[in-house]
Amino acid sequence: MTLASSLVLLSGIAVLWRHSLAAYIRAFARQSFLFVVAIVLIAAQTGDARLYVVAALVLLMKVVLIPNILQRVQRHVGADLEIHPYVNTPASLVITGALTLLSYAVASPVTALGSLPTRGGIPLALATVFVGLFILVSRKSALSQIIGFLILENGIALLAVLATSGVPLIVELGVFLDVLLGVLVMQVFVYRIRETFETLDVDRLKELRH
Amino acid sequence: MIPWLLEALQCLLTLLLAPGLIGFVRLLKARLQGRRGPPLGQPYRDLAKLLDKERVVSTQASWIFHAAPFVVFASTLVASLLVPLVAAPLPFDRVGDLIVVVYLLLLGTFFLALAGLDTASPFGGMGASREMTIAALAEPTIALAIFGMAAGAGSTNLGEIVARTLANPGSTLGSGHLMAFAALFIVMLAECGRLPVDNPATHLELTMIHEAMILEYSGPYLALVEWAAQMKFFLFLSLLSNLVCPWGVAVELRPRALGVALAALVVKLAVLAIGIAVLETRLAKLRLFRVPELLGVSFLLALLAITSSFLVR
Repeated sequence: MTLASSLVLLSGIAVLWRHSLAAYIRAFARQSFLFVVAIVLIAAQTGDARLYVVAALVLLMKVVLIPNILQRVQRHVGADLEIHPYVNTPASLVITGALTLLSYAVASPVTALGSLPTRGGIPLALATVFVGLFILVSRKSALSQIIGFLILENGIALLAVLATSGVPLIVELGVFLDVLLGVLVMQVFVYRIRETFETLDVDRLKELRH
Repeated sequence: MIPWLLEALQCLLTLLLAPGLIGFVRLLKARLQGRRGPPLGQPYRDLAKLLDKERVVSTQASWIFHAAPFVVFASTLVASLLVPLVAAPLPFDRVGDLIVVVYLLLLGTFFLALAGLDTASPFGGMGASREMTIAALAEPTIALAIFGMAAGAGSTNLGEIVARTLANPGSTLGSGHLMAFAALFIVMLAECGRLPVDNPATHLELTMIHEAMILEYSGPYLALVEWAAQMKFFLFLSLLSNLVCPWGVAVELRPRALGVALAALVVKLAVLAIGIAVLETRLAKLRLFRVPELLGVSFLLALLAITSSFLVR
């Protein structure tokens, strides 16, 4: 279980290392696929049938549907490389290390007191949340920020599955709908930004002030 | 008596098998690229040829240029006394552990860089500065990866690590162990001058790192330096394979156990060599300013390996 969670975290970190937006979308699809594997493993361990349904839904939505939407956006908009991010690559990687240590420190009371067999992966899921947030904050292209948000959401979902072996099915369905609509709305925003500024550089939004 | 024989066996194995390993990697790469490739024994013939050739030394060279091949060769040979090739624990384990092995290999790199600067040739200086950049960036990663490997065993003593891993086979699939292996693998690519950090087969001086430092060497000096580089590659790969997958290593010094250990070592090295040959055929050389990013990833992997072995108990 720790292995599956660490693979999820590592595929999130792949976004910090690569420079091309197509690679970001593939890394997100890979991370969602590893998340599905983690859910299936937990479902096999706890024997909970709902988790299989959740795994199938995540597979459909986050591995197939959302990367497809994002790839169409990326091809249409023509953006290919991340424009110089606010934090360069080696610094981002070192900050990620610090964030992982932070997540271990924050989650240590939970892992010390908990009795779940899956508690080894909780700090790593928390680290995925932090990594998603960091990508959201440190990248300039609007598409990278969407990827950061989706990784953040993946981390939260992984934390939910690890810590409580899934939330009720109704809540899961609600969250999925939410994420799907969120991505569609953000897609419209990306088109609008591209139309107005000829680039996806979010820095340029400052010009709207005047 | 027996300890000395075992250590002599280690030296002999390193000296004899290292060129064969490089020959194997080159043959595989050639076949993967659709060529016939040189035969497996070609590096041996190259070394024999070089030992017979004339030595040409630049007029600007000082004693460092003459001393460096011997220092590199000797330090690599001494490191071979400590790395568990066919048996663990080794008699010299009390004298040196994993840290000593790594820094002995780094001593050789340091002297080669000095020799590159010594000849007043611009390519030597360029190769030396690039090599030192990579070595300086790889050093924190090496230290962290060593501690990642040692964290599981509770000690940096190589015999201890092998013994603990043999006693606890389930730990090899732990995420900490695998991430430490990945970090050490990337460091091996950087230190031994393999793609994507440095192309060992390039003939363009501006793309060379290791070859640029040894560009001025000829004759027996070149034979020593090349042999030392091959032994360094052999030692790194055996270290990786015997620390991560120690099955087959002899724990008792009987001839049959040693024979099995030798066969296991050859198989493990062949697997790693196949992996490296495939990797080198698929990847292009990284531009020099991207190498810190690769080493940063390796550093992060080592850090994650330590946190997940230490902080989750």
